[in-house]
Amino acid sequence: MKFRKFIQPLEEGFLSEGDVIRAEGLTKQFGNFTAVDHISFTVHKGEIFGFLGANGAGKTTAMKMLCGISTMTDGQVCIAGYDLKWHVRRIKREIGYMSQKFSLYEDLKVWENIRLFGGIYGLKEDEIERKTELLLDRLDLRKQKNSLVRSLPLGWKQKLAFSVAIIHNPKIVFLDEPTGGVDPATRRGFWEMIYDAAEQGITIFVTTHYMDEAEYCDRVSIMVDGRIEALDTPARLKEMYNSDNMDQVFHTLARRAKRDE
Amino acid sequence: MFTVVAEDIAKSYSRKVRALKGVSLSVDKGELFGLIGPDGAGKTTLFRILTTLILPDSGTASVCGYDIVKDYKEIRKRVGYMPGKFSLYQDLSVRENINFFATLFGTNLKDNYETVKDIYSQIEPFERRKAGALSGGMKQKLALSCALIHRPDVLFLDEPTTGVDPVSRKEFWAMLKRLKEQGLSIIVSTPYMDEATLCDRIALIRNGSFMDTDSPSGIISKFDRTLLSVKGSRMPALLKALRADDRVHSCFAFGDTHHIVMNKSVSADVIGSLHSSLLARGFDDVEIKSIAPNIEDCYMYLDTINR
Amino acid sequence: MKSFRTFISFVKKEFSHILRDTRTLMVLLVMPVVMILLFGFALSTELKSVKVAVYAPSMDVITERIVTQVDASPYFTVSHYIKEKSGFERVMLSNKAQVIIAFEENFYHRVVHDGQGAIQILVDGTDMNIGQMATFYLNSIIASCRQELMMESMLNATETLLPPVMINVNTKMLYNPQMKSSFNFVPGVMGMILMLVCAMMTSVSIVREKQRGTMEVLLVSPVKPVSIILAKAIPYFTLSVVNLVTIIFLSVHLLKVPLSGSLFWVIVVSMLFIMVSLSLGIFVSTIVNTQEEAILISSMVFMLPTLLLSGMLFPIESIPVVLQYVSHFIPAKWYIEAMKVMMIQGLDIRYCMDSVLILCGFLVVIVSASILTFKNRL
Repeated sequence: MKFRKFIQPLEEGFLSEGDVIRAEGLTKQFGNFTAVDHISFTVHKGEIFGFLGANGAGKTTAMKMLCGISTMTDGQVCIAGYDLKWHVRRIKREIGYMSQKFSLYEDLKVWENIRLFGGIYGLKEDEIERKTELLLDRLDLRKQKNSLVRSLPLGWKQKLAFSVAIIHNPKIVFLDEPTGGVDPATRRGFWEMIYDAAEQGITIFVTTHYMDEAEYCDRVSIMVDGRIEALDTPARLKEMYNSDNMDQVFHTLARRAKRDE
Repeated sequence: MFTVVAEDIAKSYSRKVRALKGVSLSVDKGELFGLIGPDGAGKTTLFRILTTLILPDSGTASVCGYDIVKDYKEIRKRVGYMPGKFSLYQDLSVRENINFFATLFGTNLKDNYETVKDIYSQIEPFERRKAGALSGGMKQKLALSCALIHRPDVLFLDEPTTGVDPVSRKEFWAMLKRLKEQGLSIIVSTPYMDEATLCDRIALIRNGSFMDTDSPSGIISKFDRTLLSVKGSRMPALLKALRADDRVHSCFAFGDTHHIVMNKSVSADVIGSLHSSLLARGFDDVEIKSIAPNIEDCYMYLDTINR
Repeated sequence: MKSFRTFISFVKKEFSHILRDTRTLMVLLVMPVVMILLFGFALSTELKSVKVAVYAPSMDVITERIVTQVDASPYFTVSHYIKEKSGFERVMLSNKAQVIIAFEENFYHRVVHDGQGAIQILVDGTDMNIGQMATFYLNSIIASCRQELMMESMLNATETLLPPVMINVNTKMLYNPQMKSSFNFVPGVMGMILMLVCAMMTSVSIVREKQRGTMEVLLVSPVKPVSIILAKAIPYFTLSVVNLVTIIFLSVHLLKVPLSGSLFWVIVVSMLFIMVSLSLGIFVSTIVNTQEEAILISSMVFMLPTLLLSGMLFPIESIPVVLQYVSHFIPAKWYIEAMKVMMIQGLDIRYCMDSVLILCGFLVVIVSASILTFKNRL
């Protein structure tokens, strides 16, 4: 029975017109431990989707599966029109990824990083050229074109990393705690870039520990103990949990957590 | 008598990299002092100087009445320190970690159990687990227990809550509050502005210098501009429109609203006039309120005028 | 007393680190075994200008001819003429020559008139490969001389029947009479393993604490930095002793190395070398900041030269002169030399006192250098 389920292709129309991600019963088990426990959700085209949860709630594991870095134990997932089980490589071409831990090569120059990632995502030579110029102007990095990324302030690095992650105009970009450690103004500058990208039609899938950033999202899901406990717009969530801000919503939900990783 | 006093501390790593440009602070006994600022602002350098790990280029400082240069040995007996990248010994168990740090200071868990009980009892059920297998929140509790095991007079915590979820962060701060009430002086750094209000006094640090040092309410009371919150349906477009307005000094997104700092010479009915000019630009559902600033507003405001 | 207890708990912690990293521990323990076995079966070296001493009681035409041809070959240099038979041992022990060609009395007469001359080749078997190859090449040189002699006597022949010219070569291997090729690399493997465990592992484990941020906490504690370092060294010292015992045991029981010298002194000198390597590791850890750097420096600056220049793979005589000078600065070279003298030649420690003293010198220099570079602060 299980085997049949595994080889079954996704039904026609599994992913509806306006959506880019649909997950049904996505599960990850490590031995007896269920890190991600049958979660289901859809992400609409062009929206900013906040993926929240306490440390150890399973959001990193879930994100890894969606990016195709980790294989799922069970469930059906369709990303950008492709079945995650069969077309991981195809999906990888349609997504961008940026995390706080890894983003750019510190020992390469600014333009070398842009060029490298352009190459990795299979952009053509003249396109890379054009994109490089565009990015240097937009990020105001023309003077630093030849500096090593290491020497840039953290805020610029993050902006550059984000620009590079969407250099190939992906359908979706996954951001794993993208704004850690920068000053408040820079953090907001970063979110303005996210808005711009969303306006261009790129779907944003983002995790964060800053609860005010949750308010910037179109819709927010909150994971507790491997399950999605809540998923709605910030306004509706606040209403539902009778809270003034997302911080309170988060606390109400995360306190229900029983497991300790 | 202050537990920690620093006068005009400066430190450069090279001619270009000036980590600290002359900062001064004093921390009272039983005070919780916060260093608030982003990565690279100089927080870690200041911690390392105060814990006698590096020498300042200029300036003087004392901890528990001892000079950080001459009497570093005395200071090392009296402080607890949790470095930013501190990660315990992953291959040792919880119990082994705490025992090791206890013997490091010539004491043991039994003698000082009372000191750490509040925190350690929470991880005690997992004593035999390897530190590497603990969750983020528990690792922190263990690290804090290890820093406390020798009953230090001062606790230095370098970004203890970075990368930790809001719930664990809140728990951590509750622990700090209880420690403070026991008479411990605590200096803690954090990039999270919302944690600033949990400190007795804070220093807002940016690019190696303090923009201001005061109690959180003191810093807020010094904010002398009009601060408005604006809410509407087309938030990104609204932000751009507000920035273009010459009455607006600065404008940033703030959760589900935008906070705008007005220029000094604005009329009394600025809300009304702003409302009508936004309406003229097609923002018909805008809601404008005058609000009291929080620390993050103050930080960003000081940041814009110091830039 | 209190600080001693602290120290003991430190040592315990270091042991836990090592014992829990089972994979690395296995590598460290199994490697010497594998190396001993591998080197025992496959090792080849090339020889060049081996020093040859000649004993020719009657310096005649044929003797001279053979000696000249030996000297002319790229493999040998005639370095010394020995006057008396009693001088053989001294020449060998003082390393003036590794091979002695001894002609019998009245060699010319015996060859020409009796058609039968005898040559004895004495080879220093300590450097096994050289010994074996030297014998082979010398035999072929002598054989070709004999061919020439026969041709000439045939051309000069007045009578039709001449007795054939015979030269009997008798080879004798000194110090390693059974020509066990396994013997010689044993000291080399010892030098390398000890260097690896002590220098590389110690420096990596100290630097790991720097990278993890735990070193900061250790420094901001009343513990003396010296005891942090000493506590790191003790487990690796122990591990090295285990390896040393393994190697000696395997050599004696598996490879049948006779170990004719004093086991006591072999162990004492090995301990000395272990301490030199440990201090090298500590020194490295004071100047680098990442584990990668530590590994690179230990392997490039210590391991590689140990492998190449210590006489383990290639005889020191066969490497360029410049590198021979460089090899003087490699502690392992002196250790290996001392071990060769004591384990294989079976001589007393007196005969390698110079190497031992040089090792002591290294120890003093490196320890003082580490103390000078070690900081109480970051």
